[in-house]
Amino acid sequence: MTARSMVTRLLVVIFVVALVGFCVFLYLVPPFFTASPETFSKPTTDAAPGVDGIADPTERLIAARGRYLVVTAGCMGCHQLPTPQGPDLSRYLAGGMKLHTEAGTFVTRNLTPDAETGIGNRTEEDVKRILRSGIYPDGRVVSYRVMPWGSYTSWTEEDRHAVVVYLRHLPAVVHPIPNAVLTHTPLSDALAIEEVYAGRDYGGAPKK
Amino acid sequence: MTRRRVKILIVSLLAIVVAATLRIAAGAQPPPAAQPRSLETAAAAAANGKAIYEQRCVECHGPAGRGDGPAATLLIPHPRDFSLGRYKIRSTESGSVPTDEDLIRSVQQGLYGTAMSGWGAILSDAEITDVVAYVKSLSPRFATDAPEVVVPGAQVPSSPESIARGLQVYDALRCASCHGSDGRGKGAIATEFKDDWNQPLTAANLTEPWSFRGGSTARDVFFRFRTGMSGTPMPSFKGAATDNEMWDLANYVVSLGRKPVWSMTADEVRTEYADETVRAAADPIRRGKYLVDTHLCALCHSPLDDRGRIMPGMMMAGGQIMRVAPFGDYPTGNLTSDKETGLGSWSDDEIRQAITRGILRDGTRLPPYPMDWPAFSAFTREDLNAVVQYLRTIPPISNRVPRPSRPFLPVYLWAKFKMLILQIDAPIVIFPGNAGTPGAR
Repeated sequence: MTARSMVTRLLVVIFVVALVGFCVFLYLVPPFFTASPETFSKPTTDAAPGVDGIADPTERLIAARGRYLVVTAGCMGCHQLPTPQGPDLSRYLAGGMKLHTEAGTFVTRNLTPDAETGIGNRTEEDVKRILRSGIYPDGRVVSYRVMPWGSYTSWTEEDRHAVVVYLRHLPAVVHPIPNAVLTHTPLSDALAIEEVYAGRDYGGAPKK
Repeated sequence: MTRRRVKILIVSLLAIVVAATLRIAAGAQPPPAAQPRSLETAAAAAANGKAIYEQRCVECHGPAGRGDGPAATLLIPHPRDFSLGRYKIRSTESGSVPTDEDLIRSVQQGLYGTAMSGWGAILSDAEITDVVAYVKSLSPRFATDAPEVVVPGAQVPSSPESIARGLQVYDALRCASCHGSDGRGKGAIATEFKDDWNQPLTAANLTEPWSFRGGSTARDVFFRFRTGMSGTPMPSFKGAATDNEMWDLANYVVSLGRKPVWSMTADEVRTEYADETVRAAADPIRRGKYLVDTHLCALCHSPLDDRGRIMPGMMMAGGQIMRVAPFGDYPTGNLTSDKETGLGSWSDDEIRQAITRGILRDGTRLPPYPMDWPAFSAFTREDLNAVVQYLRTIPPISNRVPRPSRPFLPVYLWAKFKMLILQIDAPIVIFPGNAGTPGAR
């Protein structure tokens, strides 16, 4: 055997090992099916800011209830910014995830109390109306398939209030959310929808 | 690689087949400018109203006003079916159509305690009038019947004496058999009701006046006794009590109301929350139903028809077709108590494990989305047990849902390569249809 063929063989072996290793890596990552479930659940539930810093004792009690509801109802499932490193947990509920539908792409809104880009300028009833009926302040009604208000409507009014109180006490995050982009709809529908979404999106996003 | 819940670009792709579902979302054209009232005929008002209706109302009430919009199945009480011309909140005799003012008021301030929010802050008075004209045109009753307006006797002002007399009326009319001796169901004989549309109904909790559908003043409450709530077990008490007695009763009912948490002091909130915990522990099934209703379970664990609505009669029977790239197909499970195909034969531990850790009975692991077990892991032990107890009470629906399936290995690896290396969006796609096989009912 010549030295040259040995080198070739070695290279082939290294290549095969690397390829198999890469495939195993692809197969196992992310470790959703191998790591313990708590690896994924604990960081997300812990990321919800606590309520201990709220000065008013009544607000603090109500916000604690709101935190429990916000965490368990899974608001963070959509109102997060997905990054290659995972959801940006430091910007809790600041929105940014895209939802593609046949009518176009919706972007989840910034739920933090920032006045410009979040819900800071919304009245309490504005926010409750969305959670109760899916009605935005400009009168648009959102499909329950996009924003699941069809479930949140079953909250008692007091629990809905607690959710809003908690959202009001989140750290404000400046995070402008782009407007929904509408695509792929039948022409007649697209015309109807576009006018509403262009520049008038909910959540205090900057106007185009 | 980080071990966080999600380390990828997650893009949920909710593919909804019918654009109709979504265009609801749209308030298409700006509402037509208000015409001078004097020039307007009823037909023109209805035409204006139709345009507004089609932007604002169809998500719940449906395109023909039959109360069958895409969201309708989830809402309790269900959205009104306008084609029948029957309304609960009226100032008119039992069986009569409501007045325009009744309908306008319901649109303007909403129906408290339901998914119907008040539109007064969004629509102008003229727009509301037009919508009401259109809604009336959906039922032939308004063309033939005139509202028989109830003229109440002079209001009896609230006083300790009036309230005491009201309590006697409360007993005489046996209000407690549905509403309970304390106004919130204590000792009630009847607790589960169906309305005329066969939808579940609960008796009003008289201690929470902010959830009274038609408002919480003594006058509002008076009209509910006097006119009855058509289509529900709440009858008209006309003839059973005099107007004065009904005013006393209204004063008594108003006196039962407690403060809402948003008006309470810290101590009162603490007491109220503690009471709620006690009540939840006493009736875990009710608590479990509340949690299941508010935690989106039915949204995914029900098959969708091609209009994006939950298939009739299949709520919680699973089978929604969900493709989670790149991991494979995860048809949603049947959560009814069916022994063969549902949770009927699962142990409590198995159900809890699936809800909070995403591990199915056969050991199948679920990714941390779209089944939000990472969020549900935050449930308190009591709440989790309440959910399990409630799930056991859901009437069985046979729907055999296939196991989750991973794609063919090379396809899986290629999809993972796209997600992790090329960082192409990894969508969740929802399809209409039922992945399961419905069995004999």
